[in-house]
Amino acid sequence: MRQTENIYLPKTAILDRVTDEIAEVKTFYWHFEDEAAQKAFKKFRPGQFAQVSLFGVGEFPTSLPPSPTEDQTFFTVRSVGSCTSALHRLKPGDKFGVRGPYGNGFPMEAYEGKNLVFVAGGIGLIPLRSCIVYALNNRDKYGRIQIYCGSKTPSELMYVANLREWEQATGVECRLTVDRTCPTDVWTGNIGVVGSLFKQAGVQIPVDNTIAFVCGPPVMFRFVIKDLLDLGFEERAIVSTLERYMKCGVGKCGHCCIGVAYVCTDGPVFTYEQIKRLGEDI
Amino acid sequence: MKARILDRADVLKVADLLREQGYEVIAPFRGRGRDTFFETITEENRKRFDLHLPNPYYPPKRFVFPHMERLLTVQKKNGDLLIEPIYKETKRALFGVRSCDVAGIYHLDRFYLGRDFRDIYYEKRRRNLFIVNVVCTDPGEDINNECFCMCADTGPAARDHFDLQLMDLGDEIMAVAGTAAGEALFDHAMFKKGTHAHQEKRAAILNDVRRHFKTTTSWFSATVRYVSQGGVLEKTWEEIGNRCLECGGCTYVCPACTCFTVSDRQTGPDEIERVRIWDACALAGFTRMAGGHNPRRAVHDRRNRRFFRKLAHYFIQRELSMACVGCGRCAAVCHGDVGMPSVVEMVRRATTESDTHEAN
Repeated sequence: MRQTENIYLPKTAILDRVTDEIAEVKTFYWHFEDEAAQKAFKKFRPGQFAQVSLFGVGEFPTSLPPSPTEDQTFFTVRSVGSCTSALHRLKPGDKFGVRGPYGNGFPMEAYEGKNLVFVAGGIGLIPLRSCIVYALNNRDKYGRIQIYCGSKTPSELMYVANLREWEQATGVECRLTVDRTCPTDVWTGNIGVVGSLFKQAGVQIPVDNTIAFVCGPPVMFRFVIKDLLDLGFEERAIVSTLERYMKCGVGKCGHCCIGVAYVCTDGPVFTYEQIKRLGEDI
Repeated sequence: MKARILDRADVLKVADLLREQGYEVIAPFRGRGRDTFFETITEENRKRFDLHLPNPYYPPKRFVFPHMERLLTVQKKNGDLLIEPIYKETKRALFGVRSCDVAGIYHLDRFYLGRDFRDIYYEKRRRNLFIVNVVCTDPGEDINNECFCMCADTGPAARDHFDLQLMDLGDEIMAVAGTAAGEALFDHAMFKKGTHAHQEKRAAILNDVRRHFKTTTSWFSATVRYVSQGGVLEKTWEEIGNRCLECGGCTYVCPACTCFTVSDRQTGPDEIERVRIWDACALAGFTRMAGGHNPRRAVHDRRNRRFFRKLAHYFIQRELSMACVGCGRCAAVCHGDVGMPSVVEMVRRATTESDTHEAN
């Protein structure tokens, strides 16, 4: 009989360094203690997720912001609950547990030859970062690439260094917006919700043969979906990743079910067409 | 399937035979009141277990999926983490499991071993489990006011998924082997070849016992259709939700519920263990995320969830078995009377009412 793998067993990971992103959000660079585990893990697809263990506190699911084409493995995590706070307390050199990657991920191969439009709100850029970098590293395989990214204030824009880089890069149209500014902010860009970027002068969003990636808070998600549908996007051409409370990540614990779907094994990537048919609100 | 006949008095010998083979044999016993429970057969209590008695509320599920199970330990030593899984491989025989509960374990097999990932903890327990099914033939003892295996198509005599099946024919017992391990027991001299008359008697008894089931959920299959097609009104789910006291009792006694939560606990200064514990979708915290956001807030959303999971065709197709086996335990323990038979009835009533036509 084939040896069954223990799906609940994390492997030891070592924290290399921590960088600040925005308030309460940090990026944690890490690697597996075991080289073979690192190599196996690196085969992940954009849009997949991992289960992070802080032993004694618990385990939480988190998306994988790096692209498999990048060298380093890292998580970007907001400190919201007991596990994420425990991760925030770790120092370089500390050890924790990781298992994964899990979930379906974005079918980036199937999108080859298509235009890609990324729409991110706030920390919704974390899961989309993986596909953006992946697409830019495989630039010749995709058509036009557009990035529309918004946050509440300038200080809440994620991955600022990446955003600046994408703004400057050729072959990618990157536009940023913020909902509002504070008097102390130096902001010369657009002010308004993400959808307001679509109506800016000079913006032309390709609709035919295009995949729209949407990720952000529920309110933003609703409005952006409406904008995209109004532009003429088909429901199945809009993709997103969903999040839920999860315990196992492998379709057993039952916590992440939405209607007929297990977010962990059927998702977390769903098309808007699928999201509408789950049979339960997201 | 091979069948043999044994004397009624020899049932105890079958249990003894399994114990001799190294099995921890677990059978249902009577408590001091109406209560019945599964317990390990010992030298002291071996003569007290019963073939016919009310099915224990606490299902035999825990012998393959314990209500609390240790998954792994982690030791911190000199800055290193030593992560070790904890496996239990006890050779166990469940003696006197009802057909509904046999179907329950089969559903767990489909769920834990049949989907994208296999669960090694479940697998190790299941691989070492021997199931002796007992057919419900005594209407007074075996059949209660709530059970409905007839509608769930799981009983009163299981057709499959047991190692050995015992059926009371009166003075004699018919034994049916469901697996090679079960058939191997027939080498013992107490198992004798039967006659055509035994087969006829079995059929006659089953025909008679089928007439004694009280709870009819003949709308079960129709309800599967309504739930699958989203035909149940929000109003009906609200009515069901209003009656739910959110105790989680239905999931606790359900032989086919699979959900669990995972928790870490300190077991020493530098040692923790990770355990999994049964969880219930009826409880408010089931879907609550870090930070407090809970996508499934209202109690009727959660009731809807449980029955959707049990009845939607999508899940039945996915597991090729249904997450309701007709044991009726949820109906027996529910203070709000929203166990499976009542829900099926409420859905039936609501659907029939919405069917009335206005004359003008």
